[in-house]
This record gives sequence, structure tokens and C-alpha cells, in this order.
Amino acid sequence: MAEPAVNVKLIKERLAFLKGGRFKAWLEICAHCAYCSDSCFFYLAHDKDPKYMPAYKVKQTLDKLYKKKGEVTWEELEKMADIAYGDCTACRRCSLYCPFGIDVAVMIAAVRGILCGQGLAPKGLQDAAKHHWETGNQMAITEEDFVETCKWMEEESEEEMPGLKIPIEKKGAETLYVLNAREVKFYPQDIAEAAMILYAAGEDWTFPDLGWDMTNLAMFAGNAQVMAHSAKLVYDAAKRLEVKKIITSE
Amino acid sequence: MYQFVTGPMAWIAFGIFFLGMAVKVVSLFYLTREKDKVVFNHFSWQWSLKSIIRWLIPFGSRSMREKPLFTIITFSFHICLLITPIFLLSHNIILEERWGISLWTLPESVSDILTIVVIVTVVFLALRRIALADVRIVTSAYDYLLLAITAMPFITGFLAYHQFSNYKFWLIFHILSGEIMLIAIPFTRLSHIFLFFMTRAHIGSEMGQRRGAATW
Repeated sequence: MAEPAVNVKLIKERLAFLKGGRFKAWLEICAHCAYCSDSCFFYLAHDKDPKYMPAYKVKQTLDKLYKKKGEVTWEELEKMADIAYGDCTACRRCSLYCPFGIDVAVMIAAVRGILCGQGLAPKGLQDAAKHHWETGNQMAITEEDFVETCKWMEEESEEEMPGLKIPIEKKGAETLYVLNAREVKFYPQDIAEAAMILYAAGEDWTFPDLGWDMTNLAMFAGNAQVMAHSAKLVYDAAKRLEVKKIITSE
Repeated sequence: MYQFVTGPMAWIAFGIFFLGMAVKVVSLFYLTREKDKVVFNHFSWQWSLKSIIRWLIPFGSRSMREKPLFTIITFSFHICLLITPIFLLSHNIILEERWGISLWTLPESVSDILTIVVIVTVVFLALRRIALADVRIVTSAYDYLLLAITAMPFITGFLAYHQFSNYKFWLIFHILSGEIMLIAIPFTRLSHIFLFFMTRAHIGSEMGQRRGAATW
């Protein structure tokens, strides 16, 4: 099978866009001192295999992209995807170990953005981002299904807590409750349990009918457009319903 | 030759060093303001200073404590590297002759020892690059070149001071290598002598002001 063509123009644009003062300084002054090695649990968990040390991960990805001015092969990009998605969780611990405070995770996230633009983000993350963009939640649950599930859980809780309601899109409520789409799809009893707690606590709360999924898998994929969209759905719901605070599950 | 390296060449080297660094720091600042606004929306002088000071103190950070030998070596290296040329007797004599100013100076026997410390620690840093797998994997010829550029003024200065064979040759070589180092600073990673403060201020604020986490 022939390898897909690399969109070099797009990579060049991203690289130029990303090159602010931080990346410029960080990429230049990294002294390759290896203080960062011991901060990385990938490195420690692989019996100190040097290929997992943070500075090397940057050297193999973002640094390489700048040195080659974005002119890389598909094979090289695939290797970078293995590193950016597979060998780093972007936990930022290495930036606490670095004498210059170089934020490796931010650079890895930038690499993910570039790879995502080439369609190289892991399939699961790409699908979730697509769903979030199209339906407002990562699991493509329809508004009808969401409302149904809430009604069902309301009925289920009736015996234990008479009078319990699961309000949806109640304008002027005090609190907006948002959750993980997984709970709606696979663990609906989580909704009932959260509703019981909120009811027992006497909270004036509501779900929104759109923007109730607070997960942001697009962020992990490196898809900035959907990442912003997903966060904005929750933000817009809070504005629309004039709530004072947002509670998230998990 | 001596006239050239101590005359126009010296002016050029110091000019490139000071001007180059000024241009670099200012342009990075403006580039950051234009493209990395995130750096400024949580900037804090308090967290910046804490982050800088902690990292200027030996064993001030967790990572320094985890690698004690390396920490001792790098601190000895950096301290001697800065102190020796500035407070060296012969450098201050030249300053006195030319401009009529001079600083407090180190006894010559002390500056001799500090010079040896620089040379020994550079050798250690080079050996460390070869010996440790995690350092070796990120090391390239460029890293050794920068170590050589930094060490050369000290090696040649040591040889000149002790008048090994051809004094005139070592002296000119010493002055020239010092000038090469000054010129290299704004264009290489050696610029960290100034950028250290900027990047540390950023991460100190980013972690501290934004989420109350210490970066040391």
C-alpha cells in the first residue's frame, strides 16, 4: 500500500505559527544535561531506556520538524506519532526538573497538533473529536437519548428518593452539572447517584440540553478547533442558563 | 597580531556580545508578546524570583538533589567560569591601563586554582556525555563544540600564565578564544546566561501563579 502524501505546506504553516518566543528560546537553550530523565515515568518504567528521556522526545519530534523545515516523510511522521501520543502523557513533570524550565509537554502538544493535521492522531481520539464536533458529545448521543436516559434515571430513583427530579435546561439554576458522555451511554446509574447527592444537598441544579459533555478528547488528539468548540459548548450552556457555577463529574 | 586581537577585534567581540544579546532579549520579548500572550496573563514577579533564586542555589531544586555529583560539578563550573575572568588580576591591570578602572581582584594562586577547576569540570562534563546513556542519546558534535569554545580561553590562559614554551602564541590564542566565546554567546545555546532568567521567570509564573505549584 502506498504511503499517504505528507501535506508539507500545512506543516510549514503550523511551524511558522507556533514559533513564538517560548519555542524559540526553549529549542535553542536546551543544554542536553539530562536532568529531565529521572522526572519521566516512561523512562523509569522502561528501566531507564534513554529513548524515553524527555529532551530526546523533543529532539526526535519538534526539533526535527524545525531542523528539516517541515520537509519530512510519512514514515518519519509516523515515528513522531508513536512518541507524541504513545511515549508522553504531557504531564509536565519534566518542566519542574529542567534548570531552564523548558515546558516539554507544551512542545509535545504542539507536535500532536501538527500530526493531527496530517490525520495521524489515534483513531479513537479522531472519532471522539468528530462526534463532539457533530453532536456536541464525544459518543454521538442524541439529545433525545440523553433526555430519555435522564427520565429513566428519574423513575429509577423514585423509590429511594421520592420527589427527585433531574432538571434539564432550567434557566436561572444555581449550578450547572456536566459529565462524561460515557456515563450517559454505559453507566446511567452514575447520573442517578449524582442526582441523589445534589438533591439531598438541596442544590438548585440543572443539566444543559447541549454542552453536557465536559470531556475534551480533541485536546489529547491535538485538534485545536474541536478542542475550543467542545469547551465553548459548556461555557455557552453556563451563559445561556445564567448559572453561578459549574460542577463536573469524575 | 597582538595589536589586532586586543584592539579592533576586542571591540568587535564585545560589541557583538552586548549588542547581540540586547537584540536577542528584546526581540524574544516582543515575539513572545505577539505570539505567546499566555506568558503574560499569569506573570508574577514573586513566583518568577522564587523560581530563579531557587535554581541559583546549589541543591535548591529536587532534580539537583537527585543528581548530587552532577550538581556539584555544574555549580563549580559555572561559578569559576564567571568569577575567574572578571576578577583576574591581569585582566584588571589591562582595564586599569586602558580606562583607569579596575575591580577587586583575586590572588593569582586562587585564580590559578579556579582555572583548573573550570578545565577539570569541562573534562568531567565531556566524559559524562560519553558515559551516561541518557546524556549520550541527546548529545551531538555541537555539544562538544560548545564545551570546547567555553574551555579554550581557560586552557590557553592557563598555558599563557605559566609561560609554557611560546608565551606570545598562547597569549594571542587566549585572547582570540575569549573573543570567539563572546561572539558565540548570542548565537548559540550559550545565550542561556541571559535567557535562563527569562525562561525560569516564565515557568515559575506558569506553574506558580496559575496553579500554586513550585518549580523546584
